[in-house]
Amino acid sequence: MQALTRRSTELGLIIMAGTITAAMYALASLGKNSTIPPVLVPFFLALLGLLLLAHFATRKLARGADATLLPLAAILNGIGYVMITRLNDHLAGLQTTWTFIAIAAYIGTLLVVQRVPDLARYKWTFFILGAGLLLLPLVPGVGRSVGGARIWVNFGLIKFQPGEFAKILLALFFAGYLAERRELIATSTWRIGRLRLPEPRHLLPLVLAWAFSVIVMVGQKDLGSSLLFFTLFVVMVWVATERAAFLVIGFALFAAAAYASFRMFAHVQDRVHIWLDPWSQYQGKGYQIVQGLFAMSDGGIAGTGLGQGHPTLIPAVQNDFIFAAIAEEMGLIGATGVLISFLLMVGAGMRIAVRAERTFEKLLAVGLTTLLGVQAFIIIGGVIRVVPLTGITLPFVSYGGSSLVANYILLALLMRVSDSTARRIGELPDDPTIVERWAAWKLRRRLGPSSKMSDADETIVWTPQEPSDMHPVT
Amino acid sequence: MNKQIRRLTAALLACYLILFVQLNLLQVVKRDAIAANTNNNRAVLRDFDKPRGSIVTADRVVIASSQPTAPTDTKFKFQRVYPQGDLFANVSGYYTLAFGATKLEKKFTEVLAGRTSAQQLGNITNIFNGRDNTGSVRLTMRADLQQVSKDALADREGSVVVMDPRTGAVLAMYSNPTYDPNLVAVHDNKQAKIVLDFLNAYPGKPLLANAFQERYMPGSTFKIVTTATGIEDGLLTFDSFWPDETSYTPPQTTNPIENYGGEVCGGDLRTVFRRSCNTPFARTAVALGAEKMVAGAKAWGIGEPIPFDLPGGAVSHFGEVADFTDAIPKLAIRGFGQDEASIVPLQMAMFASTVANGGVMMKPYIVDATLDHSGKVLTQTVPAAWKTPISPNTAAMMNELMVGVVQNGTAKCCMQLANGVQAAAKTGTAQLNAKGQPQRSHAWITAFAPAEAPQYTVAVILKGTTDQISAGTGGKLAGPIAKTILDYALAHPLGS
Repeated sequence: MQALTRRSTELGLIIMAGTITAAMYALASLGKNSTIPPVLVPFFLALLGLLLLAHFATRKLARGADATLLPLAAILNGIGYVMITRLNDHLAGLQTTWTFIAIAAYIGTLLVVQRVPDLARYKWTFFILGAGLLLLPLVPGVGRSVGGARIWVNFGLIKFQPGEFAKILLALFFAGYLAERRELIATSTWRIGRLRLPEPRHLLPLVLAWAFSVIVMVGQKDLGSSLLFFTLFVVMVWVATERAAFLVIGFALFAAAAYASFRMFAHVQDRVHIWLDPWSQYQGKGYQIVQGLFAMSDGGIAGTGLGQGHPTLIPAVQNDFIFAAIAEEMGLIGATGVLISFLLMVGAGMRIAVRAERTFEKLLAVGLTTLLGVQAFIIIGGVIRVVPLTGITLPFVSYGGSSLVANYILLALLMRVSDSTARRIGELPDDPTIVERWAAWKLRRRLGPSSKMSDADETIVWTPQEPSDMHPVT
Repeated sequence: MNKQIRRLTAALLACYLILFVQLNLLQVVKRDAIAANTNNNRAVLRDFDKPRGSIVTADRVVIASSQPTAPTDTKFKFQRVYPQGDLFANVSGYYTLAFGATKLEKKFTEVLAGRTSAQQLGNITNIFNGRDNTGSVRLTMRADLQQVSKDALADREGSVVVMDPRTGAVLAMYSNPTYDPNLVAVHDNKQAKIVLDFLNAYPGKPLLANAFQERYMPGSTFKIVTTATGIEDGLLTFDSFWPDETSYTPPQTTNPIENYGGEVCGGDLRTVFRRSCNTPFARTAVALGAEKMVAGAKAWGIGEPIPFDLPGGAVSHFGEVADFTDAIPKLAIRGFGQDEASIVPLQMAMFASTVANGGVMMKPYIVDATLDHSGKVLTQTVPAAWKTPISPNTAAMMNELMVGVVQNGTAKCCMQLANGVQAAAKTGTAQLNAKGQPQRSHAWITAFAPAEAPQYTVAVILKGTTDQISAGTGGKLAGPIAKTILDYALAHPLGS
């Protein structure tokens, strides 16, 4: 029953998120132009329609999944959308389109990925795809440098940041690879002096992953993504092997790479120097971060009010610095709301990981949640000067199609794992999926009308790929 | 694995806690420190997002107001505009994003922005309903008189001050060269800087309100002060007499002081005052001595900042007693307004006003009242006396002397007002060139009318004219300007 009330909870929360977004939309317009936007009612209805579409798709396709993730994503998406509308009308139009595509991608992912273990079978495909996407911006003629970082690809009509998708593919790969070999990696049989390490052949993919991080850092000058990939990789290895040594080794390796790049590359040094003292570089490279700090401090506790601050003074505010705009106009209260939303998503994601029974699902949930939580931390921390600033997007909030679509896909995968666990622990019946029903129908036809199989028999015949996937006998 | 996942969750929670702490530091603890950073102009920006009240003349002409910007202007919601262009620039000043504010815009910024405690307490409900809380400033100045003054001055460099001698209310105050504050108040800081740099470098100091921020050698107009001091002392009466002479050599020198153009000049007080001889006043100054002359000048407010609504005024100068102990010739020369004597044009108008007002020098003012958003009066200027340099009797005698200047003296040419109204005046020609150099002089006139019941005072200075210097130069050049203004003012009282 608990699983069944989840969707009702989600429905209530989603209507709240939609209403809050519409109210913010009206406030921003009032603050900026002193008028209620004429399209307020259509906007509210379209927004609610879109959110309800996502909700009913979830109700149909992942009935047992967590109730809070989708509403949290909706409210973050809503806050981001309102800020983008307030900052730039033209971008708002594009972001609307991207939101529709992202919700479609969310539903599409739930539709295509109906059984989590299917994903584990394609881990090498994901690896190749992920690595390919990651390296794509380095291909001459296709890759594009924007603002110093070479993280864009341009195929004429389609322009996107492949890194946003690569991170999910790599999480899928790591989950699959580590679920299969976590014991082998954990057993350290290779001795070098007093050090005991796993066998080189088990370590190779991990070293490869480290190499990728370095390539991203050096080749694409994208420190944020590099840090994100590496954190993902180290965390997943640590959780999979349950050996803290990997954590230590991993971060030692990263620290070495980071220090080397600090010594070798001027842009890395710039980032660190700006982080330590942005004030003295106000006229130069520190301008963006100092303007961000001015904006946030001007906001104070309650903020200047939506539409009543000056976030447009911050360069690239709709991308990397959208959090500063939120903190300025909605104050400490609004900014803390965003922090709590991310923290709740992290909490929900980790709960899914803990509840999951199969290693692959556990690791996948850990990986995806880490991506979300760490990415938000890196960029918010960069904006408020907790860590050096690195240009990555704030999930669900920043302007940008690649980021939005990728994060909704990530969300759909988490929802799928959550739903899968709910079914496995018997919170709701594990009905066959449409694909399975169709396969069953085909089989029934092949066996002919003479076959007299009961429904119960059918489920036994259609044992999923892993023996452990059977229903618990109750 | 769950143990690791829980630890990971705790680690992420700690990370977010750090973010929360830092956010509190930025937005609460260090807020004031960040706001005080010299590069932080957010407070100014906030002001540019709010309306700002208007500055309005006595005849209800708006000289400064806030206009909503076009919806395409995403940066600021309001633009400060000066509908009268350069006409009131010296009074309104400008209000800029990056270069501060000047004149009334600076002095009354709290009222205009609606930030005075009276405005905020009186309109506590407005904070909640978000209504416009701005105040406005109403001037004593009249746009029509200002325009007439500007037109009369035409393209000559100089200043005009028109005031009501009875109250000290300034009715017009214009200086050429001036500037259009709209060009400075643009939101584009780079453009504003180019304009300001240009104006700062421009000769004639257009950014300074020359009428009260500069002082000039007064020439013969200073004889008002010397004569009045002499009469107050008892040294001079209408019967005082000076024999004809072309020059006078004061003690401590062999250099003679000459009358204009080396003329023979002499006679009784009425005659030497209307003809503006130099030697009698040099002799008077020497006869009075440094102490009495300096005390006399101070009685007229010379050497003291003029109490005025606008900041940054210049201070007129005569000198201290010590300056003259070993320099009696200087005392003699300054006695008729040459050498280092220098008077602010506004104060020159106040000299004539004092005579017109029976010896009482009123505090000059241009702000009649400040009003809140609903038109309720916040402050109202009450006319007040500043100094009483001379007795009513002396004032009456000075009035008579100045009428003589118009009837049969240096202003006869140019101060015969329309409808037979009698004006009183004193002219001045301040010689700027050394002997033998090309002739350059400031041409002055300070006048009031009607002489029997004065309503208007006008002071005019034309800077650095190159006409032939004579006792009549000031009257000939500045007189017609004063006449035009007085004729207009007498024919068009406020509200007509």
